[in-house]
Order: sequence, then C-alpha cells, then structure tokens
Amino acid sequence: MTYFFGKKTEQLFIWLFFPLALLLPLFLEQNEFYVNKLTSVVIFAIFVMSLDYLVGRCGMITLGHSMFYGLGGYLFILIAPEFEAVNFWVYTFYICVLAAAIALVVGVIVLRTSGVYMIMITLAIAQMCFYFFSDSVEFGGNDGLFILMKPDTSLFGLAFFNLDDPLHFYYFCLLSLFNCLVFWKLVTGSRFGRIMEAVKDNPQRTTALGYNVFLFRLLSYVMASALAAYAGYLFALQYGFVNPSMMSWQTSGSALVMSILGGMGSLYGAILGTVVYEGLHYSLEHLTEHWLLLMGCLIIAMVMLFKAGIAGFLENLLERRK
Amino acid sequence: MDFAIFLVQLLNGLQYGLLLFLIASGLTLVFGVMGILNLAHGSMYMIGAYLMWYFVQLTDSFVLAALLSAVIALLLGVVIEKTLINRLYRRNHLDQVLLTIGMIFVFNAMQSLLWGDDPLGVAVPGWLSGSISLTELVEYPVYRIFVALLCLLLAAGLYLVINRTRLGMLVRAGESNREMVECLGIDINRLYTIVFGAGVMLAALAGVVSAPMASIVPGMGEHVLISCFVVVVIGGMGSIKGAFVAALMVGIVDTFAAVLLPQLSSMIVYILMAVILIIKPQGLFSS
Repeated sequence: MTYFFGKKTEQLFIWLFFPLALLLPLFLEQNEFYVNKLTSVVIFAIFVMSLDYLVGRCGMITLGHSMFYGLGGYLFILIAPEFEAVNFWVYTFYICVLAAAIALVVGVIVLRTSGVYMIMITLAIAQMCFYFFSDSVEFGGNDGLFILMKPDTSLFGLAFFNLDDPLHFYYFCLLSLFNCLVFWKLVTGSRFGRIMEAVKDNPQRTTALGYNVFLFRLLSYVMASALAAYAGYLFALQYGFVNPSMMSWQTSGSALVMSILGGMGSLYGAILGTVVYEGLHYSLEHLTEHWLLLMGCLIIAMVMLFKAGIAGFLENLLERRK
Repeated sequence: MDFAIFLVQLLNGLQYGLLLFLIASGLTLVFGVMGILNLAHGSMYMIGAYLMWYFVQLTDSFVLAALLSAVIALLLGVVIEKTLINRLYRRNHLDQVLLTIGMIFVFNAMQSLLWGDDPLGVAVPGWLSGSISLTELVEYPVYRIFVALLCLLLAAGLYLVINRTRLGMLVRAGESNREMVECLGIDINRLYTIVFGAGVMLAALAGVVSAPMASIVPGMGEHVLISCFVVVVIGGMGSIKGAFVAALMVGIVDTFAAVLLPQLSSMIVYILMAVILIIKPQGLFSS
C-alpha cells in the first residue's frame, strides 16, 4: 500500500496533516472553543470531500449538495425517539441508507440533465427542501430543533468514546475524515472509478463501449450524498441541534468554493481547501465586520490566478523536477 | 374565492410573472449568447433597488432616480464584463460559478457597507399612488398596473430589438454559432459587452420598479435569483420566448398557490419545475 496515496505532494500532505491534527488538541487542551472549532472544520471537510468527488471526479456539478448535509441532521430527529438514547452505530447506518434512498430518487430526476441544467435543478430541489423545513411547524421552522438525547456509542457492550467530551468527538471525526479519504481513494482507484473517469471525459464514447453511463453516475451520486448526510449527522450531534440553514444554497456554495480552492478532484485538496477557507474566514471575521468583501475579492482573484487550486499549485512547486 | 378576488390574484400573478421575466430575460440572454452562467444576476436586481432608494433620497424624483439607476447599472455591467467576465469565455462552468459567487459576496458586502442592513422603503410616486376599483369593494393599486404595463412594454421592446434590428440579428447569430459570427468579421467582444450590460440593466430595472412594492432588504437578490433559475430552466436555457411563458406560468402558479395551498406555497414552483423537467429535460422551448 505504499503507493496508495499516489502523488508525492499528496503523501507529504497526508503525513503532515494527520499527525498535526492528532497533536493539535494537546496544545489547546484548556480551550474547548478551539477544539469545537477544529471539529466543525473536520466535519465540513468530510462534506466537501464528497462534493469534490462528485464534481471533480464525476463531472457532475451540483449546487444542491447541502440538501443531504441538512437531511443527515433532520433524518436523525425524524427517526430517533425523542427521550431515549439510541445506538450511534445503528443510527449512522440508518441515516446513510435513508439518505442513499432519497438520493436514488432525486438522482433519477436530476441526472436526466447535465451541465448547466444540472446546476440549476439541483439548486432548485435543495431550495425546495430548504423551504419545506423552514416553513414547517413540526420541524421548528427557521429556528430548527434540538437533539435532546445524544446517542450512546457502545459497540458490543464496549463504549469507545463519549460524545459529550469534545476531545473524544474531535478524534472520532478526524478518524471519520481519514476513513472517508481512504474510501474515496479506493473508489477512484477501482475499476468503477476508472470507468467513472471515462464517463466524465467522454460520456458518448463510454456509452459506445457498452457501459450504462446513467447507472454509473447515479451510483456516484448516491454514494456522495450518503457521505454528505453522514457529515450532516456528525454536525447535528456536535452542536445538538439542526436548522434549515444547513441546507441553504450558501452552504453548497461555500463547499464548492472550498473544493475548488483546494484543487478540484484531488480529494485531499478538499481538506486543504476547507482548512484554508475556514482559517481565512475566522481570521478575517476577527479583523473586520466586512470580511465578506475581502473573501469575495479573494475568491475572484483565485479564479483568475490559480487554475488548479492550492493542490495544483503545490504539485507544480514540488514535482516540477520530474 | 369569488370573481373579484380571483381577478386580483390573476393580476398579481401576471404582474409578478412579468417582473420575473424582466430579470430572467437578462439571465437567459447572457447564457444563450455568451454561454455564461451568471449567479450574481440576482445581485443586480438588489443593486437596482438600493440605487433607486439612494437616488430617490437624493433627487426626490421617481423618474429621474429610475433613469439614473438604470444608467449606473448599465455602466456597472459594462465594467464587470470588460474586467472579469471576458476572461472566462474559454473556461468551464465551474469557474464561472466560482467567480460569480465571489461577486455575490462582494456585492452583498458593498450593500451592507454603503447602505446598512436595515430594511428600506421607497414611496410610490404621487401620480401613481391611487387605486382602481374592480368591484364596489375590491380595489387594485395603479402602481402595480403601471409595473405590469412597463414590463410588457420592455418585453415588446426586447422582442423588437432581437427580431427586427441588426443588433438583434447578431445576438441571434451569436446564439446559434459563435465561431461563424467571429469569422464573418464581427467584433464579438463588443456584442458580448452590449448583451451583458443590457442584461444587468434589465435586472436592475426590475429592482427599480419593485422598490416601491416590497421592502428593500439584504438577501433579496438571492431569493429572486432562485426564482429566475426556475423560470429559465422551465422555459429552456437561452430562450427568451420560453422565459416569457415560464415567467407568467411561475407568477400565476406561485400567486394562486399562496391562496389555495398555503402549506405548499413556497415549494410549489419547484414542484412545477421538477414535473416539467421529468417530461421535457431541456425545458419547454429549448432549441
């Protein structure tokens, strides 16, 4: 498995990022605020990575991915009993399966279109979902709902970690992020992933070779949506509430910006992009009230200057002498 | 629902639909001719409304303020096309999405920097402030009728320009075959600048005329953008005729749903869109 993480830059990043992320809380032990902040960045990176796969590796541009992020949280509230601690692992499974089922139905509609049409129809469906939850009284409207009982994490009678301890939860999310990266690497490295790449590059030719392009796209859409829901579920557990802004188009938009910032389709770039974007957001927010202006200018400058994101820039820098 | 209420709703629906058409026509024109997906199009609507408020405060004249806002919006459109958009013609939709999201951020920040985040309002001008009585009890404001007529006038103007003038011929040619237009020695960049500027101006005009009807709030651009997407997708991307039909459809369905099916009212247009896309994935009037 030495060459599992193929490129030199990618290996370097994995070897730098994960040990650093493991050690970081040791320096912040007294400060729960920063641990929570880091956790939310890690959770969002899981979401961004699923989008990165969908857009960068499958060529399906969606502006409605946040729908599944939000659904991850709402599904938990919908199916879990209110005053009883349920099992974390069982509900993780339920939520991923339910989100996948929803993605299957939505995907059948959405994937009839492609390109610009797909951007707009995904946006519209996510918006529909957003209004459904923000208008409904049962789901708490704009304020959302609280999760009264956090799930119990024991597996075969052993409790590995405690959801109420921010540090435990941080490490669990970090592990999830790593697992997601490995999962997407396995998918893209497999036969399925290589066919998906062909679908992205030339759908007509792939069809001519006898592959059902629609099915490959649908399966990718379902996988990415299920993992987006998983990220949303983790987010809901972290703060103990869900609200419709999780599925607003701004959530999709900023995830897309992070993914492009990191380097679209590189997967590890999703982590890079999320960390850099959130870091900038946090520091600009403290600098000025009008951080949005600086952020916007930065994004515009980025589109004009870096065509392959930070990952592409680093790869150019580190792997030029080949 | 008696007949008078029905009539009021129908008028409201038509007026809302015509306003939507004004915004969506710019979006669909820019996409059809230039192949640019402009997510910041809704921001232009917002800018129009805020400019209107600002100039009404300054000049105290409705017509003058409207004209000034339109001219400034046109200039803004030209500047944006010349500095940013023209670098993106050879890039993919993803870069366009990203750039225009960046533009939304900048415009929203500028709005909060220049005009603050409190809701603002513009008074209906005196000569349009009355209402017409439809029956003994039901009245309809003159201003809304004025807006509907103005939108119809602009739509007719747009139709004439596109179908009857040399510029319109170039626009149609650019839609069907960009390279050929270039090969025939036509300065396509100038055409693009004109089309983008006109699109921005149409959206801003919609903001200008809707300023006295609704309060001017941050985030109004994004809301209208999504409705325009629905219109453009239903009508077929790049089709002005499709945008017109779809806008009226969305306007009427949305207005009636608010009365008849209040539980579903904010979702109904999206359901309409999903149904149409299932039947015709390329929209009603796609080429």
